Amino acid sequence: MKKKVNILDGISMAFLLILSFIFIFPFYWILTGAFKSQKVTVKLPPEWFPMNPTLENFRKLMQNPALQWLWNSIFICAVTMLIVCVVSSMAGYVLAKKRFYGQATLFSIFVFAMALPKQVILVPLMKLVSFMGIHDTSWAIILPLCGWPFGVFLMKQFSENIPTELLEAAKIDGSGELLTFSNIVMPIVKPGFGALAIFTFINTWNDYFMQLVMLNSRSKLTISLGVATLQQEFSTNYGVIMAGAAMAAVPIVAVFLMFQNYFTQGITMGAVKG
Amino acid sequence: MRKVLSLGLAAALLTTTLAGCGGGGGTSETKQADAGTTAAATQAPAAGGETTAAAAAGGETVEITWWAFPTFAQDSTDTPAGTYEAEIVAAFEAKNPDVKVKLETIDFTSGPEKITAAIEAGTVCDVLFDAPGRIISYAQNGKLVKLDDMFTDEYVKDVGNEALLNSCKSDDGSYYMYPISTTAFCMAVSKPALMDAGAMGCINLEGDRTWTTAQFEDMLERLNAAGYNGATVYCSGQGGDQGIRAFVTNIYDSQVTNDEVTEYALNDEGGIKAMTKIKEWVDLGYMLNGSAYNGGEDVDQFVAGNTAFTTLWSPGLASQRADTLVENDIEAIALPFPSEDGVPELEYLVNGFCVFDNGDAARAEASKRFIDFICNDEEWGPKNVVRTSVFPVRQSMGDLYPGDEEMQFYASLTKYYSPYYNTIKGFAEMRTYWFPMLQAVLNGDSTPEDAVNDFVAKANQSIVNAQ
Amino acid sequence: MKQSRFNKIRMRETVVSYAFLAPALFFFCVFVLVPMIMGVVTSLFRYNMKGMTFIGLNNYVNMFKDEVWRKSLVNTVILVLGSVPITVLFALFVAALTYEKNPFTRSFFRCVFFLPVVTGTVAVTVVWKWIYDPLNGILNWLLKSMHIIEKNIMWTGDKKFALWAILIILITTSVGQPIILYIASLGNVPKDYVEAAAVDGANDLQIFWKIKWPSLLPTTLYIVVITTINSFQCFSLIQLLTSGGPNYRTTTIMYYLYENAFKRFEYGYANAMGVVLALMIGLISFIQFKALGSDVEY
Repeated sequence: MKKKVNILDGISMAFLLILSFIFIFPFYWILTGAFKSQKVTVKLPPEWFPMNPTLENFRKLMQNPALQWLWNSIFICAVTMLIVCVVSSMAGYVLAKKRFYGQATLFSIFVFAMALPKQVILVPLMKLVSFMGIHDTSWAIILPLCGWPFGVFLMKQFSENIPTELLEAAKIDGSGELLTFSNIVMPIVKPGFGALAIFTFINTWNDYFMQLVMLNSRSKLTISLGVATLQQEFSTNYGVIMAGAAMAAVPIVAVFLMFQNYFTQGITMGAVKG
Repeated sequence: MRKVLSLGLAAALLTTTLAGCGGGGGTSETKQADAGTTAAATQAPAAGGETTAAAAAGGETVEITWWAFPTFAQDSTDTPAGTYEAEIVAAFEAKNPDVKVKLETIDFTSGPEKITAAIEAGTVCDVLFDAPGRIISYAQNGKLVKLDDMFTDEYVKDVGNEALLNSCKSDDGSYYMYPISTTAFCMAVSKPALMDAGAMGCINLEGDRTWTTAQFEDMLERLNAAGYNGATVYCSGQGGDQGIRAFVTNIYDSQVTNDEVTEYALNDEGGIKAMTKIKEWVDLGYMLNGSAYNGGEDVDQFVAGNTAFTTLWSPGLASQRADTLVENDIEAIALPFPSEDGVPELEYLVNGFCVFDNGDAARAEASKRFIDFICNDEEWGPKNVVRTSVFPVRQSMGDLYPGDEEMQFYASLTKYYSPYYNTIKGFAEMRTYWFPMLQAVLNGDSTPEDAVNDFVAKANQSIVNAQ
Repeated sequence: MKQSRFNKIRMRETVVSYAFLAPALFFFCVFVLVPMIMGVVTSLFRYNMKGMTFIGLNNYVNMFKDEVWRKSLVNTVILVLGSVPITVLFALFVAALTYEKNPFTRSFFRCVFFLPVVTGTVAVTVVWKWIYDPLNGILNWLLKSMHIIEKNIMWTGDKKFALWAILIILITTSVGQPIILYIASLGNVPKDYVEAAAVDGANDLQIFWKIKWPSLLPTTLYIVVITTINSFQCFSLIQLLTSGGPNYRTTTIMYYLYENAFKRFEYGYANAMGVVLALMIGLISFIQFKALGSDVEY
């Protein structure tokens, strides 16, 4: 019996490993392509590993304010992440665990808003942003993204798992609402919190369309937007495109790897007694 | 405790954010007020059309924004976009201390969307460097400032090309684009491939290099027999659609619109025959089904040596791709499109500037001065034309490429300019029907005749829609 | 008496709840709700660069008559029906298989499947475009060198393959997030329940269905809804890879909306499409909530 399960397990793992190649390949190709010369990148049969690695592509890229772009991206993503996480976990918790007037309506509006394509609200949003005088600044990206209700929805779903008895016990102990939230709710939703942090960071990092219409000055661009415009300028040079993509992707992969631990912690201590 | 602290922090952050917004809003209002007074101060002189008038406005500086597509060539292919443009700006500001130009570079893929969104939101630039296709559609929608005062009699005489001047006008008869340079779109063949296939005899290298569809078909056969791929009939994306359109209209002497440019006329005998023939060539493997390629990618395939010719070529492309061509040992020969009678009708590119109406006369006036500087400054005018890799619209600039045989050829194509239809109403909408029509034919979804008729019906409807 | 006491409690809860919701509501109202209402209102206008004319529901009427819109609706539905079940089941499969493995294996797979998301759609699509390239793409090269095909196949330009080519990329770029969420919430399943059930002699499948699945429901609901929304709104892939071709075979509603807004400047019509899209997604989400929601009683 046990053995049969193991064989099944083995087959499944092998299947996953094979699939992994498809998922890794684009990233691998970007990374290695960044170190290939133009001619090698489009060669057939492909050169699976750069035999004559070159830094030429990066040299070309670095003639642009790439570090400034990197900093802009980090700033925008970090601030957005912070605001979204705090704001969403508070909202998500009450939506899941409290019973109040207007709850159902409010939640339906949130879901409908997510269903509405961003392009529809784009022009009104730009008018608003330019009225506020924050057009072509980092805040033009940050503030609208903080309003997007994905985070609220996610944290609501994670908060569903909070045992109601725990909350009631806290109330009987005379714990205030804020204290209950920070001492009981937060530890339980921590894995969700970590997930939300990463998703927000990454989505903001890659949200190219919003950045495109909101930012104009070359010094205000984000790394993904900057790299996208470079791809245009070097449209014929596959190597430079790969180098740019790598430059935009590597920091974010690093952030992801760092945050991984945060989940794992959440998971090991997540065994909540009901 | 730590968590309470972090909450407090977030709250503090929120408050500062809000304060930030409020503050921002305030400044924007004062800015607007400022702009208002500047406008009032310069309104009268600006109306007089005097270019030096704004200097009289008491030393106040006007700030204008310039959005530049990468039309000017940089020093080398490695130089970041906007480097040369920044030099122009610096030279202009030195001579016009009362104007500050804010330069912002945009690209051809996402730039048009950015402009569209910015126009609606009221955050668009003052000066845009582009081509009539888009500029005139902005003009037709009332978004641009009239530039009639820049088209002096002397200037109009100097240009001396009515078709070209008309391309800068909207249907109200006013000028909205100030042209700087122009060239014809053409095609290019790979010399080594043709030599190898013994097809050099099919093309004509004498005079204007004009040739016939029969010669072209002969070339296709020879290339195919020698194992070379023909060009892709690219029809994905939207860029470069004019190239394949000119190819289609030329091979059997059809035309996109009637001579008066009032309705589409591609569904004439020649147009349907051309689409039928192209489908036949694709089925025979003479040309490739390009449903997966856009114009730029077709050129990529050509310069990489994967295809033996391309239907999208211009002096600008030739100079941009020069390095790759050398790297791949390909000599590209530019040719006009083949036609049944050997007399091509070519589409052409006009580079030019427009000024967006941002409701501020001072900025509009400064923008015009800036455009005038770019196009007509004694030192910078000719230099800027050369940076667009094509020919000046002002005949008085003379030959800017002395001794360059290839450029002499491109220059000779001017006499084959066909009626310019990119300023037709609904042009933008028509473009969205063009590639799906080709895709429908190439993939056998409908017969060439049905597809062309359907295209013309939709395209004509787009003229009505835009009224 | 009891009723009014209940209301008093509920009133108090309402006040507390809105205090917690205040920051979220502030951002939402200013940056989403207000623009959203403007978007919905403008869908009733002939709204283009020239200006706005009120035309009532004409945009909506025209939409249902629009042949291309109907084609794009079909394409969109195919993408959604293809991607949502595969994404959810595959994510659940990977998560269930790996969450109890050693931390290294777990991290490895979580990373691998999340890579396309992290790399960004734009960059990933550049590579896929090269994979699918008819002339010098790696897929044709591989298949030809293995003698599976003889002639190059035009993956993104052929009406038989184009939509499926898109679907594959769509799936690879959307399973990452669900996997992470499932691993996170599988970790939240009370361990003593599982142990107790195991002691009682329940097999793995029973444990999964009876113990784990119920506590995965909120996460599953989130994943299903979000994947549905994302698949319905599939856009950048199309724009970068096929521009809706060949002959509208891969035009999705979102792409058509974009084409109308940004290439034809028909903002009102585009917004009407956005509203219909949102209503469709909203309706489907509602059904999903009914089917999967554990707490729809309010």
